[in-house]
Amino acid sequence: MTPEQKLSALFAAEAPPARDYAFQARMAQAIALRRAWMTVGALVPWAVAAVAVLWALIPVVGPMSDSLGAALQPAAAMLAGAAVTAIAALWLSRRFRGGLRTPFSAR
Amino acid sequence: MGGLQTDAELVSRALAGSDAAFSRLIERHQASVRGFLRRMLGGGWAEADDVAQDAFLAAWGSLRSLKEPAGVRAWLCGIAWRKAQDRIRSSRRGAARDNIWLETVETPAGISPEDRMSVTAAMAELPPDVRACVALCLADGWSHGEASMALGLPLGTVKSHVARGRARLLKALGGPDDA
Repeated sequence: MTPEQKLSALFAAEAPPARDYAFQARMAQAIALRRAWMTVGALVPWAVAAVAVLWALIPVVGPMSDSLGAALQPAAAMLAGAAVTAIAALWLSRRFRGGLRTPFSAR
Repeated sequence: MGGLQTDAELVSRALAGSDAAFSRLIERHQASVRGFLRRMLGGGWAEADDVAQDAFLAAWGSLRSLKEPAGVRAWLCGIAWRKAQDRIRSSRRGAARDNIWLETVETPAGISPEDRMSVTAAMAELPPDVRACVALCLADGWSHGEASMALGLPLGTVKSHVARGRARLLKALGGPDDA
């Protein structure tokens, strides 16, 4: 082998594969993480603004909270009842569907 | 999704927010960037891959600064080149560690481990910009013009760096002094 050929072979041995899914997956993960942090960073000013608005509204909303609580009590009770009914209906429908299904061993 | 999209099309889709398009660009150019960094940094390939990951992340964040979408390969290698320079400046990598790593790497057929060590040592002795020119033009077959664009060096400088680096490496392999 001539020195030229040796040099070419050594350079070729260092070449990464044309496709490397492990590297691509690591890059996709790193980009997703960077995007998530950027999203959090973009939401921070909105969160600060929301806190400031709520803090400014405390003197207005504070005195109303007692009367508002009493007014909302029946609505909250109805919503809770509806939620319990919906969950129970969902659970029962799944249970009946499971009971009516033919087992694999009987097919 | 077409597999035959040009780099410029992929760049414009990535600029519109498509991570899939940027992944496709990575798939297309990872071998060039990582190969360049492996030859530039020497030592373990894991370090080169870390720098490549930093370079691709930086590219993703600054895609809007890409003036010529068709030249995305040179642009990516330019970012990798600057990241590699930072890494060389900030870390003092141990020669002993690099030698241990070299012993674990398989040597191509017809080449002795001594030849590999000689080339690695000669490559490490080259100044970083000469090494970068050698890694792109001699090892990866880039044109001098494209390497000049990627590295931000004048064309004449790239040509002389490649000639000088080639002569040193061939001399390390037993070639003539004025190779």
